[in-house]
Amino acid sequence: MSDLDRQIEQLKRCEPLSESEVKSLCLKAMEILVEESNVQRVDAPVTLCGDIHGQFYDMMELFKVGGDCPKTNYLFLGDFVDRGYYSVETFLLLLALKVRYPDRITLIRGNHESRQITQVYGFYDECLRKYGSVNVWRYCTDIFDYMSLSAVVENKIFCVHGGLSPTINTLDQIRTIDRKQEVPHDGAMCDLLWSDPEDIVEGWGLSPRGAGFLFGGSVVTTFNHTNNIDYIGRAHQLVMEGYKWMFDSQIVTVWSAPNYCYRCGNIASILELDENLNKEFRVFQAAQQDSRGPPAKKPAPDYFL
Amino acid sequence: METEVDKEILKSAGAELLPDGRKGLLIHGWEIETIRGTILTSLAHEQYSNLYLSHYSVCALLWEEKLKTSHLPEMVFGENTLVLKHLSSNTKIHFNAFDALAGWKQEGLPPVEVPAAAKWKFRSKPSQQVILDYDYTFTTPYSGSGVVEKDQETVEAKANTEGGASLKWENCEEQIDLAALSLKEPILFYDEVVLYEDELADNGVSLLTVKVRVMPSSWFLLLRFWLRVDGVLMRLRETRMHYVFGKGETPTVLRESCWRETTFKSLSAKGYPVDLAVYSDPGPISQRLPVIKQITQKLMIPHKV
Repeated sequence: MSDLDRQIEQLKRCEPLSESEVKSLCLKAMEILVEESNVQRVDAPVTLCGDIHGQFYDMMELFKVGGDCPKTNYLFLGDFVDRGYYSVETFLLLLALKVRYPDRITLIRGNHESRQITQVYGFYDECLRKYGSVNVWRYCTDIFDYMSLSAVVENKIFCVHGGLSPTINTLDQIRTIDRKQEVPHDGAMCDLLWSDPEDIVEGWGLSPRGAGFLFGGSVVTTFNHTNNIDYIGRAHQLVMEGYKWMFDSQIVTVWSAPNYCYRCGNIASILELDENLNKEFRVFQAAQQDSRGPPAKKPAPDYFL
Repeated sequence: METEVDKEILKSAGAELLPDGRKGLLIHGWEIETIRGTILTSLAHEQYSNLYLSHYSVCALLWEEKLKTSHLPEMVFGENTLVLKHLSSNTKIHFNAFDALAGWKQEGLPPVEVPAAAKWKFRSKPSQQVILDYDYTFTTPYSGSGVVEKDQETVEAKANTEGGASLKWENCEEQIDLAALSLKEPILFYDEVVLYEDELADNGVSLLTVKVRVMPSSWFLLLRFWLRVDGVLMRLRETRMHYVFGKGETPTVLRESCWRETTFKSLSAKGYPVDLAVYSDPGPISQRLPVIKQITQKLMIPHKV
């Protein structure tokens, strides 16, 4: 058994790798990811997966429902880390699978694959806690910069973490972005990872936060028509039922973190596309508590005042 | 979050657990209970709509209609509640997301711009851009709901509207006895429920929770609205209620509401760190937030109606 296969087995048991193993895994991953396009071409059959957010044991449920990699070809739409308890193991397992089976798993970048966001929402703290230093966080966030921004399945289904950008009309415009950088606060790259579809706007909407685009049905219609695609697959927003179609089936949100943050009680889903692009959503629930190993924390009654 | 309590301790305190697996207890004429469910469903799928149309409380669209809004927090725990019922007077104090969101809608604060908004002002505007302007922080003045249930008909009165009809909260000089609450009496019942939560699209957190602890001598609860808009401001609106068993002629609940708020700018001017990791939990840092509003009230529970 090769080192990599052994590492994959270890990670599947939710046991993290050593710091030096992470370093060498990231170096290998970098060589693969750097070659990928900003709009990575993916062949069908393929299974689309949405946000995971460090919910390692729930991702194991995902693989139970969807089949193991490399038998199943996977496309993950980003947000592997933050929020959940096992961002390290989750991301490293996906990365190890990427290195081992580069043509059978595609990882594109979510807005949480960022230095700034991971310092606020958990991944940074988790690395520090599990390794006693921030080196692993550094290796991983350096890898984030190499991850592709989007994918297109059989030239018919455009896949991205967040959504569209007013500065992007064609897939070729995405191809020209210099992606090897921290996710910027504005511009096309930012929009692809951050924007959301919104029912109540027709064209473009600006979030009340003053930053962040919302796009309506007509924007999606135009984009899909211009680029000759059937629909957009995206993630980024929690959906109670695991997936949600909008704008007359022109865009679908896929959410793959069941019982998000260990309390929402939502269902998760993955979208299986066969070789003819026939769709089947597979929904799944969170892992049972007893399959998750020791509980991460048990809240005790507290003498709050 | 419920915890096992020794049966003997319960018995000697004159308390008994609620039957049928319900969470809570009966103590000195009060029935104290928490209920927990999932987040609202989006009703986007036909297969769910039939299932849930009859189940009003879990449908986001129906909530939107009733609240006259098209925006709800990402995670609304529509079924979550804490109920404290004074059995002999039919007085019920309770906490729920719906009433809290009605408060949000009514207060209608203007939106707060995030730091990235400054840059966005220089972006070229897409044609047909709509700027949304609702309070995406879901700030609420909610301080609990109240009702006096009569035998058949129910008289509703919201505890947060001044001079509410049925529950008469009066301003008072008495203070909640924090010294008594600092004694480490056994906790007979403890729970915390989330009413709603929003991640502000990864720009911070908006979180409304209520927690309760019941001791042999009293019950005490804390309703907390916690808002952090990263790099901009923090807002903490807390309501505490305390009831001492068997004290005085008329059973009296004390309620203290305290609103605190500050900007990151002003924290920095005072020499406090503005590192977001420091501000993940409002408990330890609340003292750094200046008080902007404080009110103490009491509720004299009427004798049997």
